Amino acid sequence: MARVFHATAGSGRSAARRAPRTEPAPAPSAPGRDRGGIVAGYLAPHPPHLVYAENPPQNEPRSTGGWEVLRWGYEELRRRLKQHRPDVLVVHAPHWITMVGHHVNCVPNPRGVSVEPIFPHLFRYHYDFRTDVDLAEAIVDEGAKAGLVTSGLREEGVRVDYATIGALHLANPDWDIPVVSLSANNNPYYYSDASLAEMETLGAATRAAIERTGRRAVLLASNSLSHLHWDTEPELPEDMSVERPFDHHQYAGDMELLRVVREGPTSRLRDAIPAHIEATSSETKAGSLTWLLAAMGWPAIAGEVLAYGTVIATGNAVVEWVPS
Amino acid sequence: MIPAALVPAMPHLLAGDPADSWAELAAGSRTVGDRLRAAGVDTVLLLSTQFFTVLGHQVQCDDRLRGRRTDENWYAYDYGHLEHDLAMDVELAHAWADAIDAAGMQARRTRYDGFPVDTGAVVASRLLDPQGQGRWAQVSCNLYADPSAMSAVAAAGVRAAADLGRRPGVVAVSGLSSGLTPRWIRPSEDRVEPEHDRWNRKVLDAIRAGDREAVLGMREQFAVAAQADSQFRAFAFLDGSGAVDRPGEVLAYGPVWGTGAAVVWWGES
Repeated sequence: MARVFHATAGSGRSAARRAPRTEPAPAPSAPGRDRGGIVAGYLAPHPPHLVYAENPPQNEPRSTGGWEVLRWGYEELRRRLKQHRPDVLVVHAPHWITMVGHHVNCVPNPRGVSVEPIFPHLFRYHYDFRTDVDLAEAIVDEGAKAGLVTSGLREEGVRVDYATIGALHLANPDWDIPVVSLSANNNPYYYSDASLAEMETLGAATRAAIERTGRRAVLLASNSLSHLHWDTEPELPEDMSVERPFDHHQYAGDMELLRVVREGPTSRLRDAIPAHIEATSSETKAGSLTWLLAAMGWPAIAGEVLAYGTVIATGNAVVEWVPS
Repeated sequence: MIPAALVPAMPHLLAGDPADSWAELAAGSRTVGDRLRAAGVDTVLLLSTQFFTVLGHQVQCDDRLRGRRTDENWYAYDYGHLEHDLAMDVELAHAWADAIDAAGMQARRTRYDGFPVDTGAVVASRLLDPQGQGRWAQVSCNLYADPSAMSAVAAAGVRAAADLGRRPGVVAVSGLSSGLTPRWIRPSEDRVEPEHDRWNRKVLDAIRAGDREAVLGMREQFAVAAQADSQFRAFAFLDGSGAVDRPGEVLAYGPVWGTGAAVVWWGES
């Protein structure tokens, strides 16, 4: 096991490709029961182990369980999500890595088998879902209008990544709600630098598109937290006797972030997220959480932590924010 | 001495209307393929940094990797749609996995229908072996293991090949600097930014001089200063094969969408 990444959240070099930082738009008013808008946002981590542990029919490998506390958190997420009665789930995921720009999946009916190259023994998932194409195209449009490099994926045949599928499956295993999926425009594997300011712009563009189309949307940020982990695994992947935080520093970093989440308001996370990335190599470096909170207008509320647990030593939390 | 090469990973080398540098890099890669065949290589031990993993070292054990890859980045271009057909040396793959285990590391034998072959392996195979007559043995690039682990993985592959009486070649598919131009460009606009270019040339100069210790010594700094592709684990892998303690011949160097890319050949002396 070794720490191989040390990436700061942004650099002088990346500043050149960021949209100018602007003051955040006023927080949108909370949508009424039947009105459109963003009705909830969830930090929805995607480790494939959680899908594997659930043994859904779509996934080929079989398990004996594991990671129950996180999965119980997802059970509660699912219960709450149904109460929000969303028209669409919008997910930003760090493993659809796009090197140029922010891509939005506009394919009406993505389907296929997603064999995850890193975890093929855990995740060989048969997916078949519906995209809210109107909203997807609107996000492409609003992103471009905001000055972002964007692209609408309209080609069949691109494999949907496990971070997108994982968060969506765990939030809604029935797959009965249309989806919009967004890529992560960075590459965590090449000392690439995250551009969290750009995620603010993408979040605002997402919100504008949701309002323009009148959708009731739930947002999913498909990120883990602390991201150092083992580089080998036990014979039985779900052997929980070896599951623990990478080290105390990583755990403490996650707890510090979650303390701010639970205390609120979300605006404090504007500083806490980059600090957490610096301290723990957090996967939020990919921008999903910043995108989510920016889309919600950094509401003056606290988040509710539904569960926390580690997966191969990474920290993972299921968190809900509901605009008041 | 084992013949070895570093070749680029980006699919732009297969563009129908390439930038000059993309065409030169593709020509250099084809030259490497010619030389591997001329050297009588039975099987290429392949590392592609785009087949990255984080748990153990995955060895591809499928006998045939055939299909069509639609690249999740470059689908809007001709080079974003890649047919591939790689014949794998399964006997060597299993022996390699066994050798990795025997060296105290964790090998993971990978054989799954629908497994997504990475773009780097597809590009390299298309250029190095356009007739599809060669055989391959591929291992993943573990980004969470110490880079020196890739050296031990390559050494295990060479031992496994020797035990089977194979004559191996060693190919690492990787870029140099990875500062990608973050916008849509015309091929003629392709440039490596000056600081990354300076680092790439510094590394290539040391390679030309056969100074492997200098390359290994600057690897971490290169990784930070020029965002080297996968922290330049590719060179650690090539080093483990014992092939890079002699001058490397730089057949091509240039930009691919802002990243630095080179074709380097280490032949028999």
